[in-house]
Amino acid sequence: MSHILDIKNLSKSYDGKTFALSNCTFSLDTGKICAVVGESGSGKSTLIRLIAGLERPNGGSITIKETIMSDDHIVTAPQKRHVGLVFQDYALFPHLTVAQNIAFGIKENKNETIAKMLKLIKMETYENAYPSALSGGQEQRVALARTLALNPELLLLDEPFSNLDAALKSDLRQEIKHIVNQVGTSMIFITHDLYDAIDIADEIIFLKDGNIQLHCPVETLSKSTENETVKSLIDELKHSAEHLLDLLKH
Amino acid sequence: MLKHFKRDINQWSLYTVTISLFIAIPLLAIIIYLFDGPGEMWEHISKHFLWDYISNSAILLLGTGILSTFFGVSAAWIVSNYEFRFRKWIQWLLFLPLAIPSYIVAYAYVGLLGNGGTFIRVINSLGISIQKIEMMNHFGLIWVLSCSLFPYVYASTRAVFLSFPKSIKESTQLLGASNRRYFFSVALPLASPAIIGGLFLVFMEVLNDYGAAKYYGINTFTTGIFRTWTALEDLQSAIYLSALLVVMVFAINAFVAWRRRKKSYELKIDQSQQNASTRKALKGKKGWLYGFILSIPILFGFILPVVQLVYWAILTFSEMFNAELFWIALQSIGVALSGAFFIVITSIALIYFTKWNHLKSLRFFKKMVTIGYVLPGAIIGIGIIRSSQSIIDFFSDAFGLKIGFLFYGSSFILVYAYIFRFLAVAFNPMEANSLKIGKNLGEASQLLGINKLKTLLKVELPLLRNVIISAFVLVFIDILKELPLTLILKPYNLNTLAVTAYAYADDERVAEAALPALVLIFIIVVLMLLLSYAEKTFLKAASKTK
Repeated sequence: MSHILDIKNLSKSYDGKTFALSNCTFSLDTGKICAVVGESGSGKSTLIRLIAGLERPNGGSITIKETIMSDDHIVTAPQKRHVGLVFQDYALFPHLTVAQNIAFGIKENKNETIAKMLKLIKMETYENAYPSALSGGQEQRVALARTLALNPELLLLDEPFSNLDAALKSDLRQEIKHIVNQVGTSMIFITHDLYDAIDIADEIIFLKDGNIQLHCPVETLSKSTENETVKSLIDELKHSAEHLLDLLKH
Repeated sequence: MLKHFKRDINQWSLYTVTISLFIAIPLLAIIIYLFDGPGEMWEHISKHFLWDYISNSAILLLGTGILSTFFGVSAAWIVSNYEFRFRKWIQWLLFLPLAIPSYIVAYAYVGLLGNGGTFIRVINSLGISIQKIEMMNHFGLIWVLSCSLFPYVYASTRAVFLSFPKSIKESTQLLGASNRRYFFSVALPLASPAIIGGLFLVFMEVLNDYGAAKYYGINTFTTGIFRTWTALEDLQSAIYLSALLVVMVFAINAFVAWRRRKKSYELKIDQSQQNASTRKALKGKKGWLYGFILSIPILFGFILPVVQLVYWAILTFSEMFNAELFWIALQSIGVALSGAFFIVITSIALIYFTKWNHLKSLRFFKKMVTIGYVLPGAIIGIGIIRSSQSIIDFFSDAFGLKIGFLFYGSSFILVYAYIFRFLAVAFNPMEANSLKIGKNLGEASQLLGINKLKTLLKVELPLLRNVIISAFVLVFIDILKELPLTLILKPYNLNTLAVTAYAYADDERVAEAALPALVLIFIIVVLMLLLSYAEKTFLKAASKTK
């Protein structure tokens, strides 16, 4: 299977002293969903901002669909990378309607694409609604549709589930997976919740202090429990579950 | 509502109503005396002048609005989106035109561009033959007002451009939109409520202007009110003109409020995600070019007028630099200090009395007393003159008491007028900050047995210290610059720097007006610097506390 993304020795330092991301190397197969898991400050956001071209790396290279997007000699502008990014705050334009937001980047067949996207996110009746009238989950779906309308080769999602309540989160995870599979694109999403990752990702990258601790398919995760980061995350989940059970018992 | 009226009314409700009605007398007077019918000159005014007043005021509003928006928005866009040489300095210098009252800028321009003016002589010495650039017309006045008032638009727009979340700009970039499209399709519509807000202040200043319009010979509502009252000696018709101007102001106010409500969008602002880190660095020629573009409004709004004033001041230094100038400066400072003091005290009283009263319907009074800021000084002046006369007559008829000296022989009435005119400048930020503090601290203190007044003094006011200081300084600056109101209400023995500069210029002795004008500008610039320094210090202290 061909790689949609190849990252080699990617590093980024904002102050020239400490590295937010250090010598990261990994690849992602076309059509796969990858979760990047880590605590805050682990370099997750830096990684996807580098892939999107919103930050310039200090070293290493990023190749998307066999085209070098950034290395020591070139840095391709974000809009030329065929990458879509859904921001954590969704970045919907509050003065534009849902349809106008989706249409913002479309160059051809606007009406057709808008209709297709609205159908895809099941929000046909919200065409003329403004973002302020939408719920968090709806806002996220519109942001996703706006990004998918440009047919990105690679879809990036920055903490897509962090602003949502538990019930909505579970539905939306499946919905996003369904949409991404339907469109046939590849996706990397950031999360600090292992549950999100296991639920919809094909593979997981664990980041700590700017370094990749582990990169493995979800199916083999159970074999990696010796890994310190994975272990602490699983322990955390176990602890939460036990605490919940205790509360229910009493 | 009436059911609980008896239960909810308390002494604070009564204090609120009393203070509010006392402050709002000028506005109430205009409304009440309107029923007395027009004065005898009204027919003459409405036949020969009224259309002039309406059309000239409208032309000035439109022209100044367009030019100030252009200067203010373009400057705000550049300083918030690009990094270039001297950006930090330039973004501050762009506020400086506010330090010069527009009537002083108007005098300076005539000295620069009039017959034999400084700039004309420089041009002539370069071999270009030109006699003068005519400034005493609509365009000249629009240019002068725009150069000195654009910082209102700049300040409000810059604040909103800087508050844009980084993700908004980045998402437009990822969606393939150019910088131009980002500006016109996203940034400008999102900033429009702020632009309109800044523009509203520009409009109010244009309508309030007396000195510049009078000097340039353009009849506006404000010059018309003065002329009707002083030259035609018809106070009742002046009240009629004032009422028309009030209608115009309220119409603009309603339009602005409607546009802002319609175009108001909530941006999810995350302090850590703001624009600062996404400023594009401009190096080399482009950096210099942007710096140059931004220096144009600073040059025309501050540097050139000040250079001309300095030139005149040197010429008239021996004549004008004397003990009288110091005395006038001291009187200006004294009046501004007492005005600012009473305004801050009144603001505190109104904010807390309204808070402590339980009648929700009294909130209307807050709006009524802060309306003075949108009313031109001439209206307030006429309102006070008319109501003072009635009070003086009443005391004379009823008790045989001559109390006219209290109104016309002291600064009492002037300070009172400043309170109505500038109360909003202190009241609004102080109220916003007191709301931020919330109720919990005050309630905790009261539950610990401390009464309301002591809680105010010991808990709430210390927390409001910073905003009280900056409100005090802002009001102080506004009073120093104020002309029409001071001109109408000052006692004979009081002179301020603004009035002195105006009097010389009105007497065709513009060069002599320069030194008092420069002293005025110097005091304001020093205060602006102090305020900026204090705000930075407060911010640092606040972040350390956090």
